[in-house]
Amino acid sequence: METILLINQLSKRYGRIQAVNQLSLEVAKGQVFGILGPNGSGKTTTLSMVLDLVRPDNGTFEWFEETPTKESRKRIGAVIETPNFFPYLSARKNLEIVAKVKGYDYNDIDHTLEVAGLFDRRHDKFKTYSFGMKQRLAIASALLNQPEVMILDEPTNGLDPQGIAQVRELILQVAKEGITIILASHLLDEVQKICDHVAVLNKGNCLFAGEVHEVLAISDCIELAAEDNQTLKEAIESHPGFKSLTETDGIIMAVFSDNIPPGKVNDYLQQKGITLTHLSERKRTLEQHFLELLKDNPS
Amino acid sequence: MKLITIELKKIQTYRTFWIIFGLYFGFLALGIIMAEFMVNAMVDDVNKRLPIPLPHAVLFNFPDIWQNLTFFASIRYVLIFPAIVIIILTTNEFSYKTVRQNVVNGMSRNEFIFAKLQIVLLLTLVITFILTLVMFILGLIHSDSQSLTMMFDKFRFVFGFFVQMLTFLCFAFFVGFIFRHTGLAIALFTLYVLIIEPVIYFVFRAPFMWENTIYTYLPVNSVVRVVEYPAIPALERLMDFQLQGEVTLLSCAIPILYSVVMIAIVYWSFNRKDL
Repeated sequence: METILLINQLSKRYGRIQAVNQLSLEVAKGQVFGILGPNGSGKTTTLSMVLDLVRPDNGTFEWFEETPTKESRKRIGAVIETPNFFPYLSARKNLEIVAKVKGYDYNDIDHTLEVAGLFDRRHDKFKTYSFGMKQRLAIASALLNQPEVMILDEPTNGLDPQGIAQVRELILQVAKEGITIILASHLLDEVQKICDHVAVLNKGNCLFAGEVHEVLAISDCIELAAEDNQTLKEAIESHPGFKSLTETDGIIMAVFSDNIPPGKVNDYLQQKGITLTHLSERKRTLEQHFLELLKDNPS
Repeated sequence: MKLITIELKKIQTYRTFWIIFGLYFGFLALGIIMAEFMVNAMVDDVNKRLPIPLPHAVLFNFPDIWQNLTFFASIRYVLIFPAIVIIILTTNEFSYKTVRQNVVNGMSRNEFIFAKLQIVLLLTLVITFILTLVMFILGLIHSDSQSLTMMFDKFRFVFGFFVQMLTFLCFAFFVGFIFRHTGLAIALFTLYVLIIEPVIYFVFRAPFMWENTIYTYLPVNSVVRVVEYPAIPALERLMDFQLQGEVTLLSCAIPILYSVVMIAIVYWSFNRKDL
């Protein structure tokens, strides 16, 4: 499979903050790749580095299996942070600048404005647009002339539910056309709904990377309850594979390493003389897994 | 050609640009209209105390018009208008973050610098061209028929003015890239040009005004000095020395050297900094 983006040991420090720490990633052609992490986890810094906005302290990256140049950036459509346009120019003029920089003619501009639902307002100044329209124009500019890769940084941030739905619909449509997408987000359900691959970032470290459905299939969370939850908790904590537990409304949610099946746990507890009143296996959502990962790697 | 087209798109419908540019030409026109009147009011005033009256100044005849109008067009209060235009066009890119978008879309950092320098050059050419045209027409109106050699005898001052405008706008380009914030850059630039350098002049002034001091070699004064005095015989008689007959290569070299250093600093820092 053709590699679109290869990041190797990329690091960036801002004063005392290690924004990105020896990050390595690989995005293959056709993937919808999510970069998931809380605010300040290094998502935007990483994207800024691979787009030549921020100079890395260490590490390298490759676009399209080549050393990156300005020419490789012309094959990428990207929006980093806020939509960046001249407020006093119309949408049309702003897109003309984008097209000119990328070396295209203006033939695709009207079509792109239609896709973004801005065709009727194309001659209005950018500053007269609502936030949702600005965000749509940004995505439209990234889509201009069918890039090979689209990079979106928090594309639904600050949008109303309708706007969020529109943008997600648009991204899925683009993905269907075979364009590789790299999406940074702090929203789990966004990554869950849109992406097929994900890398989880926290404080500049990559905690986890893999296919989204693999992450979702993880089932190492077990619900338990007994007459005496206190003894039960102590017993669970003494289990060699124990990782963490939480108690809500008399039900204990326990996480064990290596996907220990519930039956094995039950056997272990019976040896300790505990009879369970409740036992069930819960498929963890990405959210729980995410929080789990953050807890395990507090660095 | 691609870069300048992009830059022109950015200013095509930018009202602030056209307003300041218009203000500049308005201010310049007013200065030109007032200049002769003001100089002669001064001469009249001096004549009251002189036994032999000084002749009235004629600013608009060939070939002196080239020197006189380039002198009035290059005093720092006038030069500052197009400089502010350049500062705004540069700092806008940082406040609107469009510089990031340009780089993301595939412009190299050096292309971005080069594009701004092209605007500096284009603005200089346009201003010099318009001023030359105005001088030529005014000269024709005010002069008796003269030989072509006579008419263009002092045309070197137009080249001097070109150097002045080009280098002064390079300073503005430098300030815009280094400070990045529109308000801060304009404030510091104006403060330096209109207050700090003149104060240095008073602190280090020599007994005779034609003697060189540190002030002579300061960036803005080195620009202003390229066309330092107008060709007004009355003024020369008053000062008792030949004011300026030529644009010297040396006087052009100093501001050009400053510009080259400033462009080099921008090149160096812009390629290293994060955007």
